[in-house]
Amino acid sequence: MNQRQYSDAPAVDFDSAPEMQPYLAQPDAMYVGCPGKHGYLNLGFELNKEGRSILRELDRRAPLIVQQELYFDEEMPDMPCVYILSSGGPNVDGDRYVQRFTMRRGSMAFISTGAATKLAEMRRNYSGMTQEFTLEADSYLEYLPEPVIPCRHTRFICDTRIVADPSATLFYSEIYMGGRKYYKDGELFAYDVLSVCSHAERPDGEPLFREKFVIDPARVPVRRLGIMGGYDVFANVIVVTPPDKAAAVYDATEPFIDRERHLAAGITRLPSGAGLLFKVLGMEPGPVKAVVREFCSRVRLAVKHRPLPPEFPWR
Amino acid sequence: MNVLPLLQFSDATFPVGTFSFSNGLETAAGLGLVHDAESLAQYTRSAVLQAAFSDGVAALLAHRAALAGDYAAVVAADQALMRFKMNHEARLMLRRMGKKLAELGVHLWGDDTLIGRWLSDIKAERTPGCYPVAQGLAFAAAGLGERELYASHQYGVANMVVSAALRCVRVSHYDTQGILYSLAGETDAMYEQARDMTLDGMNAFVPEMDILASLHEKGNMRMFMN
Repeated sequence: MNQRQYSDAPAVDFDSAPEMQPYLAQPDAMYVGCPGKHGYLNLGFELNKEGRSILRELDRRAPLIVQQELYFDEEMPDMPCVYILSSGGPNVDGDRYVQRFTMRRGSMAFISTGAATKLAEMRRNYSGMTQEFTLEADSYLEYLPEPVIPCRHTRFICDTRIVADPSATLFYSEIYMGGRKYYKDGELFAYDVLSVCSHAERPDGEPLFREKFVIDPARVPVRRLGIMGGYDVFANVIVVTPPDKAAAVYDATEPFIDRERHLAAGITRLPSGAGLLFKVLGMEPGPVKAVVREFCSRVRLAVKHRPLPPEFPWR
Repeated sequence: MNVLPLLQFSDATFPVGTFSFSNGLETAAGLGLVHDAESLAQYTRSAVLQAAFSDGVAALLAHRAALAGDYAAVVAADQALMRFKMNHEARLMLRRMGKKLAELGVHLWGDDTLIGRWLSDIKAERTPGCYPVAQGLAFAAAGLGERELYASHQYGVANMVVSAALRCVRVSHYDTQGILYSLAGETDAMYEQARDMTLDGMNAFVPEMDILASLHEKGNMRMFMN
């Protein structure tokens, strides 16, 4: 009776990461790895007999939910669109999530989240997530989730592995808020640690790049010039795409620092000729999201020759 | 300790082309973000921090590999650092300075050394040739320790920024020496953290500097190569 039940989702373990060493105690409530706190999502897109992209594979464990694919993109009506939801509300102390996305040859898809991802206050442990993106030849994936909002004493670690064929395109964006800016007197950079690593390789194992940032506001003041400066919101966008597409997007994108709108963006080329890296800083999620979407539209134009449709007014 | 080679390799006039680079300071100064001693101190601190847990780690691991005669580990550190450098101009800078130091190393210690083998692999494009790795090899060849290597590397980053500042920000030598001196006091604590790190653990978070570097990369305003 006392034997603990563990979810059958693939294991997620960041206990050896140096930045998580202070946060390895068991949570007071539901333990690490128990059903309901160990989410799993496995989505596989492929072309059907008619050559249309469909969501063929769907496996999930609570609290992650995906319903059927919808075709709501008016510029690309043949592209399946999927929203990831979480029935548990925010990520809590001791959560472990695994997300796997596979794009079979020639398929395309759009993935987002239904709302901002809240990372709750944590006391004992941390919330960890591993992601795997596999893109076969000529496939195309836009991954544009809503912003992540870390709270006071949030500890979050994420490892994203990208395996991409040289002909495939992945648009992968993440937006990190400084915190619950309008909660009580305002809460910015009150979290304990955000650790985010994204790395890519070719299907034969050839490594392309590895980006990692660890933000620990108590150790390093993020307000320093050169880090977040006076900005509150940070977006990081990785575009893995063939060199000709990357060159077209790079030439069409102007970096800027707009002091009136407190908005800034920069673009550079990823190592190993893997694609592009785009970073945005701003004060509020709305304008940052708009810059990210505009950039995504440029990528879509270069690869699929269609722009992004206007964002839904309720998003 | 072997003090004189340490001074020689840390000298601002050490011929690896440091003076051509500003680590994005030129753009920050042009936009008025860095305009006095206080803002320069903050910017320099960010540049030093960016290097502390990436370039500095690669330098330490290359140094240990050189002492162990493990050439494959030297190349692994070199390639991992190049894959970690997200900024295109930063990659150019590391390669240019790394190759220069390797050439100097061959002159000092001969072809028949780890550094000689590394230089021929750089020329054959089998390895990128990053500067911190070159520093690791040079310090090992000169019999200098890794704590000195780390200090010299971090000092080099700070000195590059403040030297460039003398040419594009309204600051005095008193200001820049004050910044260098106060940063020197923090280097040992960074070393204590960096010494146990692995190549996979390398990390850096300076988004505002990244955006400034991008403006420089695509812009017309340039006196420095970055």
